[in-house]
Amino acid sequence: MITTLIRYFNLICLTLLVLVLLSFSLAFFFPGDSAVNLLGAAQIADQPLLSQAVNQSNVLVQFWYYVQALFNGQWGVSFATGKPLYEDIMQLFPATLELSLYAVTLALVFGIPLGFVSGLQYRKKIDHAFMSSSMVMYSFPVFWLALILILLVSLQAQWLPMSGRLSLLYDIPHATGFILVDIALSDIANKQYAFHDAISHLILPTLSVSFIAFAVFLRSTRRSVVDVVSTEYIKSAQTRGLTASNIFFKHILRNALLPVLPLLAVQISTLVTNVMIVETIFSWPGIGDWLIQAIYERDYPAIRTGIMLVAMIVVVFTLSLECLSQLIDPTRDRFAYARR
Amino acid sequence: MIILDIKNLTLEIESNGVLVKALDKVSLTIQENEIRALVGESGSGKSLIVRAISGALPPQWIVTADRLTWRGQNLLSMTRAQRQAIMRRDIAVIFQDPLASLDPSATLKDQLVESIPQEFIPKGWPWQRRKARLRIAQQIMRKVGIKDVHAAINKYPHELSLDICQKFMIAMALVSQPTLLIADDPTRGMETNTKQQILTLLAQLNKTRNLSILFVSHDLIAISAMAHSMTVLYCGQSVESGKMKAMRRRPLHPYTKALMDSAPSFSPDLIPKSPLVAMDGTIPTLQHLPIGCRLGPRCPRAAKECVQVPEERSINEHKYRCHYPMHVESV
Ligand SMILES: Nc1ncnc2c1ncn2[C@@H]1O[C@H](COP(=O)(O)OP(=O)(O)OP(=O)(O)O)[C@@H](O)[C@H]1O
Ligand code: SF4
Ligand SMILES: [Mg+2]
Repeated sequence: MITTLIRYFNLICLTLLVLVLLSFSLAFFFPGDSAVNLLGAAQIADQPLLSQAVNQSNVLVQFWYYVQALFNGQWGVSFATGKPLYEDIMQLFPATLELSLYAVTLALVFGIPLGFVSGLQYRKKIDHAFMSSSMVMYSFPVFWLALILILLVSLQAQWLPMSGRLSLLYDIPHATGFILVDIALSDIANKQYAFHDAISHLILPTLSVSFIAFAVFLRSTRRSVVDVVSTEYIKSAQTRGLTASNIFFKHILRNALLPVLPLLAVQISTLVTNVMIVETIFSWPGIGDWLIQAIYERDYPAIRTGIMLVAMIVVVFTLSLECLSQLIDPTRDRFAYARR
Repeated sequence: MIILDIKNLTLEIESNGVLVKALDKVSLTIQENEIRALVGESGSGKSLIVRAISGALPPQWIVTADRLTWRGQNLLSMTRAQRQAIMRRDIAVIFQDPLASLDPSATLKDQLVESIPQEFIPKGWPWQRRKARLRIAQQIMRKVGIKDVHAAINKYPHELSLDICQKFMIAMALVSQPTLLIADDPTRGMETNTKQQILTLLAQLNKTRNLSILFVSHDLIAISAMAHSMTVLYCGQSVESGKMKAMRRRPLHPYTKALMDSAPSFSPDLIPKSPLVAMDGTIPTLQHLPIGCRLGPRCPRAAKECVQVPEERSINEHKYRCHYPMHVESV
């Protein structure tokens, strides 16, 4: 247990260090003056550590100051707006997190139970229906799906708005960055209208992201259930005359879920990519939309920080999930001797 | 009284697109209070019989039988619930591979406790019932010879050695106090002492509790001391069955004869621990089954007539399937 934790902690730290190093070296690889690429302007008054980093002659010392500057929130300023990147990102990041969270929750809540249904009905009609429809869902490119949704639901039927996070009518003060939480915290007059508006903005982006994730979760859960159901120990439990519900809750459920968790970890990078694409299409004011804008505008400091941050998030979430799945799996050291 | 009656059990498996008869007209009966040995070379289909009786077969395999009855009730045509009830209380099965038959993510305690029938637990508060269950579980584990019960009971199967898992499988089968125990090679690979312990326990349960046992084994010596009757299987066909004594003294089927001769204690000049090889050649695979008597290619007595499947014949409850049986004159 402790060794697993330490191993993953080390892994995360090392990977993050490499990411920081890469982002630092980006400043030298981008065209133009490396100092300007790092700072975002010729001089910044209120970011002393980062400014000091630029002034060092030794690259290693520069890097050392750079790391310190990162920890202190001195991330440079944007070429395009001249505003500090740290504040920009902290504004935008919760929006991305909110979208991903709802999309993943939706995909999990539907994907895993339906995966169980499908797996338990292996090769029956329901299973075939789920399998073929999830295959179709899985093969939709996310940008195409988003555009189709906009075309049908927003433009043709005019049911839902096609872009943004909230209608301009409402002025919600930024508190947590999560729009639904912020509305709940604010003291504006007609809250339920604001809620309604926020949710109607959320539906299409969330659906677009969760569509593919749903298909993936359904398929992996189903596979895992089918594998478990055909094992010897389930057969053996049946011959002991245990009831079907007993077998399901005590033996199938846990054994089928255990291998699904690491599969979710693998899905995180795909998910982040999809979220960024969907943000761009729906003009969702999140980190993805912002980063792609930065790439268009060759805003090198923004690209450097944004990419580093997104990569860090993917790494931290993936490795933590993997670590968690190792910790809760009682069979983890089943192959310990083989692994060593 | 016959409790388990199997007549002409046939099991068809699809292999490379063709149906092959992995079991071909197997017949087997188990009397009340009887220990019956089921022997045969590796791959002869012993485990398949065990699975067919217990219903643990993949759904796409086809089982047919003239009779497959438990105390007169047809196991194949009854509802799932009825069969479940019989498996819960009357028949217990020990499968061959203990590690595969145990849930890897549940502790031994959880798996054993859920096999205890409700009727064994006295009425009371939930925690009292839980305690009673635990007591029964520990008792049975001690009985099958697991030494450190307290340590073992909270472990997962992969954390324990194979022979503890084997013993645990026996404990799990016995905990419901069944009428019939079907044990598929329960002592494989055990050292002699442990094996003797288990065999003694089973023989004792047979005497005191009237437990009937269908004992699948490779170990002819151990089994001949314990079993009352024996069925010999070759390549999915039951070739001979009858009382242990009669079969030892005068085997009618050439295959049984060869099997007996190959067991060290029956023929003293054999090297100890040599594998059970009854005859020249090997058992045919399911893809290359000979027609007629499946022993044909290996049988020293084979003749033209053997391309026809021999019908089952019997002399005084001693059943055999062979056109040219041995010792018939003297029976
Ligand atoms: N799942 C399966 N799919 C296809 N063929 C199988 C399967 N299980 C067993 N067989 C075949 O059925 C035949 C009988 O196998 P079985 O396991 O019953 O032998 P056995 O007598 O129990 O051997 P052993 O003494 O080694 O346990 C073998 O030829 C085997 O290849
Ligand atoms: S029927 Fe023929 S081949 Fe088969 S065992 Fe008898 S003599 Fe041998
Ligand atoms: Mg076997």
